[in-house]
Formats: sequence, structure tokens, C-alpha cells
Amino acid sequence: MKNDIVLREVCKFMIPAIQLYAVYIILHGHISPGGGFAGGTILSCSFIIAHLVFGRDYVKSKFNFNLLIKIMSICLIIYGIIKMYSFLTSGTHLPHPPIGVPGNILSGGFILPLNILVGIIVACVMYIVFDLFMEGGK
Amino acid sequence: MELFSIIMLISLIIFSIAVSVVKDLLASVIVFMVYSLIMAILWQQLNAPDLAITEAAVGAGITTLLFIIAIKKIRGDKK
Repeated sequence: MKNDIVLREVCKFMIPAIQLYAVYIILHGHISPGGGFAGGTILSCSFIIAHLVFGRDYVKSKFNFNLLIKIMSICLIIYGIIKMYSFLTSGTHLPHPPIGVPGNILSGGFILPLNILVGIIVACVMYIVFDLFMEGGK
Repeated sequence: MELFSIIMLISLIIFSIAVSVVKDLLASVIVFMVYSLIMAILWQQLNAPDLAITEAAVGAGITTLLFIIAIKKIRGDKK
């Protein structure tokens, strides 16, 4: 399968398109259908296609797995901190996140950073699960 | 639109029975993927496009891939 020229040439321009669509879904998650989980899953699908078509070494040359796990952990900590603010201030007089305006990405307050963090976490976790399943953690 | 939804609901019942009846494991996985895709269209019909995107990505993409890898691991590498 790795030597099929049609598959390789089609994937060379399909993978950036899939990634662009995933980033669109993540960035517009609070004002249109989608969100962090759906966008992150589509992003991880593009990594999985690259893994299947170009081989595991190609993907490993792009991301180091230790770096991937570190990014994921840092994103989880930041997510916890931002979400804790949202929980703690829900009944008090501190400022609430605003309701977003359709068409304006920056109108949602801290919902946009939360969506971006969830997207990164889901993409990393889905790809790591797939890699552990496929290669057996070598 | 009512007729379209009813046809898809009936096909969902047929597919869900077929998944457990079909003997070939690979065919069963493919029928399950088609079930997920039709479910995604049905979520769209029920005004839940958010769920439709997630169902299409997770149900038809990741789950099918993991099932196919599991079948490959069970049968061994016969090349």
C-alpha cells in the first residue's frame, strides 16, 4: 500500500485540506456547529491517513511522541485552570463569558481558547491511541 | 422529508440486524460503518449538526479503522 502512486499523490493535497477544515471547525466551534472534540477528531484522522499512506517514520519525523505528550499535558493543565475560573465564578459577580455573535470569532470570551485546547488534546490522544493499537507501543 | 427519515430509520433497523447476522467480520465492520454514516445524516435531519460532524468523524472514521486493525491483528500478517 505504501508504494501506490495514486494514493500518495491524492493524499499530498487531501491531507492539508482535511487539516484546514479541522482548524476551521475548531476556530468556529462556539458560533457554528462543531467544536473542539469534532475538530480534533478530524485533525487526528489526517495524521492517521499520513501514518497509513506515508509510513510511521514520516509522521515520527514530524512529531516527536515525547513532545506530543508534553504538549498534551500542558494543554490539560491550562484547560483545568481556565475551566476552574468558569466554575468558581458562575454564581458570583465576577465577569461572565459573553454570548458570541455569529460571524465574529473573538466574541466568545474564553470559549475560543478552551476549544483550541480541547482540539489539541483530542488530536494528540486519538493519534497516540491509534499508534499504540497499530504498532503495539514499540 | 418525513418519508426520507422513515426510509433511513427502517434501513438503520435492517443494518443493525445485519451487523450481528453477517458471518464475515470485515463485511460486518463495513455494514457498521454504513450504519454510522446514515446515523450522521439522521442527526442532521434532527437539527443536530454538531452531533452529525462528531458521528461522521468518530463513528465512520476512527471506530472503523480500529475495528479493521483489530481484525488484521487477529488473523495475523498473511502477506
